Amino acid sequence: MKTIKNIYGNFKHYAFLMQQLIMRDFKVKYKRSVLGVVWSLLYPLLMMAVMALVFSQMFKFRMEGVNYLVYLMTGLIIFNYFNEASNTAMTSVVQNFTLLTKVYIPKYIFPISKCLFVGINFLLTLIPLLLVILFTGSGDTKCIINVWYILLPYIFICMVLFTIGVGLFLSSVSVFFRDMFYIYGIVMTIWQYFTPIFYDINILPKKLQFIMHFNPLYIFINSARDIILFAKSPSIIALLACGASAIVALFIGGIVFKKNQDKFIYYA
Amino acid sequence: MIDVKNVSMKFDLGIEKNFSFKLLFISLFNKKKRVKKEYFWALSKVGFHVKKGEVVGLIGSNGAGKSTLLKVVSGVMKPTKGKVVCKGSIAPMIELGAGFDQELTARENIYLNGAVLGYSKKFLDSKFEEIVEFSELREFLDVPVKNFSSGMVAKLAFSISTIVDPEILIVDEILSVGDIKFQEKSRHKMMEMIHGGTTVLYVSHSLDSIQELCDKVIWLDHGTIKMIGETKEVCDAYYLEQMGMTKEQMKQKQKKEKQKNS
Repeated sequence: MKTIKNIYGNFKHYAFLMQQLIMRDFKVKYKRSVLGVVWSLLYPLLMMAVMALVFSQMFKFRMEGVNYLVYLMTGLIIFNYFNEASNTAMTSVVQNFTLLTKVYIPKYIFPISKCLFVGINFLLTLIPLLLVILFTGSGDTKCIINVWYILLPYIFICMVLFTIGVGLFLSSVSVFFRDMFYIYGIVMTIWQYFTPIFYDINILPKKLQFIMHFNPLYIFINSARDIILFAKSPSIIALLACGASAIVALFIGGIVFKKNQDKFIYYA
Repeated sequence: MIDVKNVSMKFDLGIEKNFSFKLLFISLFNKKKRVKKEYFWALSKVGFHVKKGEVVGLIGSNGAGKSTLLKVVSGVMKPTKGKVVCKGSIAPMIELGAGFDQELTARENIYLNGAVLGYSKKFLDSKFEEIVEFSELREFLDVPVKNFSSGMVAKLAFSISTIVDPEILIVDEILSVGDIKFQEKSRHKMMEMIHGGTTVLYVSHSLDSIQELCDKVIWLDHGTIKMIGETKEVCDAYYLEQMGMTKEQMKQKQKKEKQKNS
């Protein structure tokens, strides 16, 4: 109980710093680009357009009774969030070594602020998703905004917490083991193909389908798709799995980070 | 109040010669090049006590452990052995401008660096004018810091980090910041803080400024305390040792200088 209180107090004290770091990232990200923040909206739309073109035209992917654009877009923005946030969180500690060796700042601030910053970006990408939901599909494939949307924030929060956990883990491991930057690039490529972003899980062999249920990204994406595409509530088990993966990731990431953070400085 | 109890700080020199496949391969053929554990004690068994309001100087040649000691006291590093107890808010002025983002403007950096130093938004809002005034950079407020000269960056950084009235001030050789006018101003500001009852830990290679400011001096040598005591006494002893002179030679030199002057 005391530690929770401590953590909360610390958080409150450093909330302003966190806010400043996020604002810095935001200002620097689109500095000198003409379209600026519009890119946050445009980028996922264009990605979706390219993928839709490639898979529905070149590879003749067909999913009956499903709005393929919305299907793609949901998977894409969730996966992109995780990919970008975990990557920037991983490099955040190493990148800020100049600061960490000079002033005392709780080190967890960096990976967490990165995850939240990309999270804001993620919220922006919900706008193009909404546009796709509203303006594509007809008849059977028309998606409707329904009451289950109230569950979306829960899924997104679980997704962010899960990413923070992974980010904490990666950022502390990469301090000691810089090869992680390269290894993680490969891991992410594998993970991308192993997550049904553009394909239907049913085309996989039964064994793989079973393993897929242990892929947290699949759980998040599938739950969001249940709501957005099929206007139904995700199963209770899926919702619990969302929360469980967030808690487990946070727990493991937090412990690994806390155990090692005092040693970071020697590896600068 | 700062209480440093028997602090030792060990660095693992092997870290730089990290484990890698390259080294593994070499060590297969060359037994001499096998990675050995090498340690370096930057501080060993350092202990002292600084009372509230006391100004303590740290002297010692390069690599004696002065900056490491400051980092241990300010909490950036955890000591390998021993304990540091500080009562009161600490303002570390170890490396000015470490928290600046080159892409951001001076105005944005005041808030960012302020946040890094642990100030609140309300505090920064109320002190913003004062910081700008002191830094003499009003015209350049909306210019990205990357376009600043190093003197301007230092002025801005000094203005931000001295805006608080900390209970403990940790200073690593920063009085020589900016142009002559600003140096005088920053010296004045420091004196003001010191006379306001702040506890100060001050590192400098300038014995003049140490003698001017400090009540007590600690002489560090190879990570241990060689001497601790009265400012004049320690400074003289340090100077003699560094110059490789004995007391007699020193006296003679002083005599000669006097004769020259008269």
